[in-house]
Amino acid sequence: MEQALAGCVFSRPQRIMLLTPDAGLRDMLTTLWEPGQVEWTHSERGRGAIEHLFTEPPDLLIVDNDLPDIKGLEVASIVKSENVYRQLPIILAASEEAVAASSWCGVEVDELLITPSSPTRVKALIYLTLARASRSFDANPLTRLPGNSSIIQRIQEMMDRKEDFALAYADLDFFKSFNDKYGFSRGDEVLMMTARVIVTTIRSFTGVRSFVGHVGGDDYVFILPPDTVEAACQRVVESFDSIVPHFYDEEDRARGSIVSTDREGAIKTFPLMAISIAVVFNEGGRLTHYGQASQIAMSLKKKAKENKKSCYVLDSRGRNAVREEPE
Amino acid sequence: MEEDLKTERKGQLLAVKDLPTLPTVLDEVSKLVARPESTTEQVARLISMDQVLSAKVLKMVNSPIYGFPGRISSISHALMLLGFNVIRGIIVSTSVFDVMTKNMVGLWEHSIATALASSTIARSCGLRDPDEYSVAGLLHDLGKVVATVQLPELKTAIESLVKQKDLTYLAAERELLGFGHDRINAWLAAHWKLPPNIKEGMDHHHSPQTAQLYPEMAAVVHLADFLARLYEFGSGGDDNVPFVQSEAFKILKIKPKDLEAICDTLNERFVEVSDLKFT
Repeated sequence: MEQALAGCVFSRPQRIMLLTPDAGLRDMLTTLWEPGQVEWTHSERGRGAIEHLFTEPPDLLIVDNDLPDIKGLEVASIVKSENVYRQLPIILAASEEAVAASSWCGVEVDELLITPSSPTRVKALIYLTLARASRSFDANPLTRLPGNSSIIQRIQEMMDRKEDFALAYADLDFFKSFNDKYGFSRGDEVLMMTARVIVTTIRSFTGVRSFVGHVGGDDYVFILPPDTVEAACQRVVESFDSIVPHFYDEEDRARGSIVSTDREGAIKTFPLMAISIAVVFNEGGRLTHYGQASQIAMSLKKKAKENKKSCYVLDSRGRNAVREEPE
Repeated sequence: MEEDLKTERKGQLLAVKDLPTLPTVLDEVSKLVARPESTTEQVARLISMDQVLSAKVLKMVNSPIYGFPGRISSISHALMLLGFNVIRGIIVSTSVFDVMTKNMVGLWEHSIATALASSTIARSCGLRDPDEYSVAGLLHDLGKVVATVQLPELKTAIESLVKQKDLTYLAAERELLGFGHDRINAWLAAHWKLPPNIKEGMDHHHSPQTAQLYPEMAAVVHLADFLARLYEFGSGGDDNVPFVQSEAFKILKIKPKDLEAICDTLNERFVEVSDLKFT
């Protein structure tokens, strides 16, 4: 078992709360991982633990169906009915007979741990539950790309390992005016298209470490090795510019602009949407904190935004260069 | 949308099933896709030569899963959005029917010729996005393929009717099925959620005068079909050169003699593809 599950290590220590009066189950669970991998909080009763659960939510809650003071399912339903705790994954531990007899389907538990069970099964079940929760936790609801905390975590990890990488921030110019004129659902189409253009472009660089995330709205992030990022920016800009006109109505596309209201409410003419990309390089461990990278990116972004057409700005160790697609 | 199309005479069904594709193109595309230095344009050019693969790619990129149904009508845009992985998946899962090449000898060449003629006409009429006209041209006879692959006995019946009464393929289809491949095209395009311009080119290429939204598209494919038959490049299933609807000229604001200049360009482009053999 140790060998088969050796790869199942967590990138940071996980905090798991266990509510069970069953000492056997507790002993089995708390010895599944090396100390330091998982930090266990155990309680034999349910009521007192709920407050603790709300003030310091763990990464995972394992709750026994048979608690002396409250039903396990009831604990689960209290947690899941609060929007801020809903993403907390819950494993309900119950015997085969109890599962057959209770109506657990109506409660939003994430997994069932049928007791008794073997350590191998239980370890795999817990690992998968935690991995699934971290994948879906901050995924963008529209594009399903990893969201902010995954992005920050990825960048910080690469910085900590002193890995060389290029971090690109992409966003759309004149997206707001498009949204105002065509409505949110047409705007979402453009966001989906943009995500797709970035994903397929980044995936086309095979055999390298890469990452694509969606910060939210029209803000995207991608990571590539420093020597491939410029080619990727070129392709993203090219593809975006050739596809985006097709998301406008015939006459706007023909005219190459739209009439919409600006932030002050005045009627104005806006060009078709463009994509701006700012690229920060981290080479030789130059950056040590995520905040440094995003700060550099934001100042580059201003430079890119001065250009109304699609373009990318590279921060080449202090030497900035703006590139735009030739007409 | 999962509805099958019921024929009117014998109650036979055209089912939403896998469609055939052409083996050599499939092979070529796979090779190109496997090479990392291949460009989107190269792959798009190859895929554009296969009507079934083209239709599948467009169907995929316009499916609601990707979030922008009905927006994409160019193969190279589809490739940029789907990526090589998805394309590879489409190719691998596209079943190859030998029946197809044997069944409709010459139809593929006719489709390529119509695609080339469509983009040539669109370009000379100053229409935007000529490549999209080429897609509609390529797919304009897809309904014939689907009908004969799914109802094999129908093919023999149509062919003998064409010979016996010297009918057009369309007239024979109508007599035997109750409707022609233009209606089958409409069904396929709707089922695949193809953009409305491609759909109108496919289902109104015999009747551009009744196209509601994109009469230029229908008129271009109509004239292109005519030119491809005039040049006898490939075969549409009968020996007739179809009747040209004069409305097509009106819609495109050209005169019949403008076709001469178009034919000059076409002569060269047909030479380019004449040595492409896909058997």
